Amino acid sequence: MANTVIGSTIVIDGEITGDEDLVVQGTVKGRVSLRENILVEESGVLEANVETATITIHGTVTGDIQASERAELKSNCRVVGDIRAPRILIADGASFKGNVDMDG
Amino acid sequence: MASTAPRPPACVLGQQITVRGTLTGEEDLVVEGRIEGSVALAGHLIVATGGVLEADLDVESIEVHGEVRGDIVASQSITIDKGAHVSGNVRAPRVIIHDGAHFQGAVEMDVDLPEDLARGLKR
Repeated sequence: MANTVIGSTIVIDGEITGDEDLVVQGTVKGRVSLRENILVEESGVLEANVETATITIHGTVTGDIQASERAELKSNCRVVGDIRAPRILIADGASFKGNVDMDG
Repeated sequence: MASTAPRPPACVLGQQITVRGTLTGEEDLVVEGRIEGSVALAGHLIVATGGVLEADLDVESIEVHGEVRGDIVASQSITIDKGAHVSGNVRAPRVIIHDGAHFQGAVEMDVDLPEDLARGLKR
């Protein structure tokens, strides 16, 4: 259960670190480093380098993603950056530009 | 599916989350974790018990149950609750400090000063 929610009017410019699930409906610029799950909703924008266990993207991410478990790009998401994760899923309808690395 | 995760009513920064930098927004926010930097929020900010803000705050209204180190400016009210620790200067039309709260700093409430005192301060 996600108990941290960055609401749709919220803009964070800086760094988020922590140990619990994160739901992004607003905007985060800078760096995100978590050991749990990130959900970027349709309205969510990450302009950040992301380090996490899993990330599920419905919104927009600009930056490199490093997930220790899984990165999932849902349809209608927009992602620009390099992704490194053992499991990477890109759904039909997703738009993505960058490198994929499943061995790193 | 992750998108069906239950959605809490308000925007919340949970206990294990640290934000370093600036946070701006136009909605209510509950902080259970930690923010270092600055917060500008057109909404109601609740610093929950255990929440720590090392930041200058510019909000509509704020309710502190946890800890704030920094200056607080609120356009409506500042409430410092029992058990809260606040150090910094606070400015708001309404400042409420409850019994059992710890507060260190200056309070400014935009009080109409008696004329002679106001003249003295201007000089």
